Amino acid sequence: MMNSMSNTVEKLKRIVNNLDITKVDEREIKLELPNEQVLPTLLALKEDGYSHLSLITAVDWIDEGKFELVYILYSWDNGGKFLITTKINRDTPKFVTVKHMWPIARYYERELHEFFGIKFEGNNDMRPLFLEMWDDMPPLRKDFDPFEYSKRKFPDREYQKDVIHEAKIIRGDIDG
Amino acid sequence: MAVDERSLWEKIADKLRSRSLWMLHYCTGCGAMELPPTMTSRFDMERFGMGPMATPRQADILFITGYLSAKTLRRVIYTYEKMAEPRYVIGFGSCTLNGGIYYDSYATINRLDYYIPVDLYIAGCMPRPEALLEAFNELMRMIRRGEANGWKKYKENYEWYKQNQIRSLGEVFVHDEFHE
Repeated sequence: MMNSMSNTVEKLKRIVNNLDITKVDEREIKLELPNEQVLPTLLALKEDGYSHLSLITAVDWIDEGKFELVYILYSWDNGGKFLITTKINRDTPKFVTVKHMWPIARYYERELHEFFGIKFEGNNDMRPLFLEMWDDMPPLRKDFDPFEYSKRKFPDREYQKDVIHEAKIIRGDIDG
Repeated sequence: MAVDERSLWEKIADKLRSRSLWMLHYCTGCGAMELPPTMTSRFDMERFGMGPMATPRQADILFITGYLSAKTLRRVIYTYEKMAEPRYVIGFGSCTLNGGIYYDSYATINRLDYYIPVDLYIAGCMPRPEALLEAFNELMRMIRRGEANGWKKYKENYEWYKQNQIRSLGEVFVHDEFHE
């Protein structure tokens, strides 16, 4: 861990109790936090130089019944990266917006609403961003079946099976 | 009149057309990467009498490179309908044929000729520039023989194509928040 990053972690320990720290890489630290401590941590990191919000994304842990929100913060001063993650309920996915801290966040939040169905309090602009006229459940949820959707919406080409060719492969005449 | 019957003048026109083709390349998929070497000095497409064109109104060929999402298919149909006749479509790569490696994707279509008529397919993932040049020459031969009739088929079976477009896309009209 770089010196400047460990200094930041020391500062964070003063704000957050029982900090769950995973070192992902030389310049990459993952912090798993309870919901209510995410915003203070993000604010502290932003003030400490980690001001570039690279990405907000989510992971669907369907067996636990949770969505894991991931905020990736990057520092242009030392190239360090913080991954702030928190788990929210999968059935009523809801979190608070960070668009007042990073205006770009409204697009990430719209994307998360579109692909996972997560709502963000304080951000009412939840128009679809990428998909047009989507008519099914959010497609990046693990219980969504893309193959079934594709079969239903986008007809496939029908091939005639070449039985003789297959028989030759089985018999070993041709190398399949 | 059958689709492939041509008057003498049309035969002459087709012969001349096949020697001056302008291609609009709709580069949505990874296949677009094979076009720069085809167009530039290495393989030099222009020696066959073909050139790239920037706008659909002035292009003869619509060249679809690879997978199309439902979103881009809407734009492709717009583009195709804007082109002046005669217009030809080449589907490049296995994604336009049967979905390719994206056959099970919720976002990409599986076969292009269900929505717009395709005159020629180039199979493979990826086809090399040699395959492209071979396909362009084949298209020129098809035009001379009067076999590249996709645009006539589109007019004749317009309802069928429209119905397929509606089935997969819901609505072909493009709503775009950044331009409205």
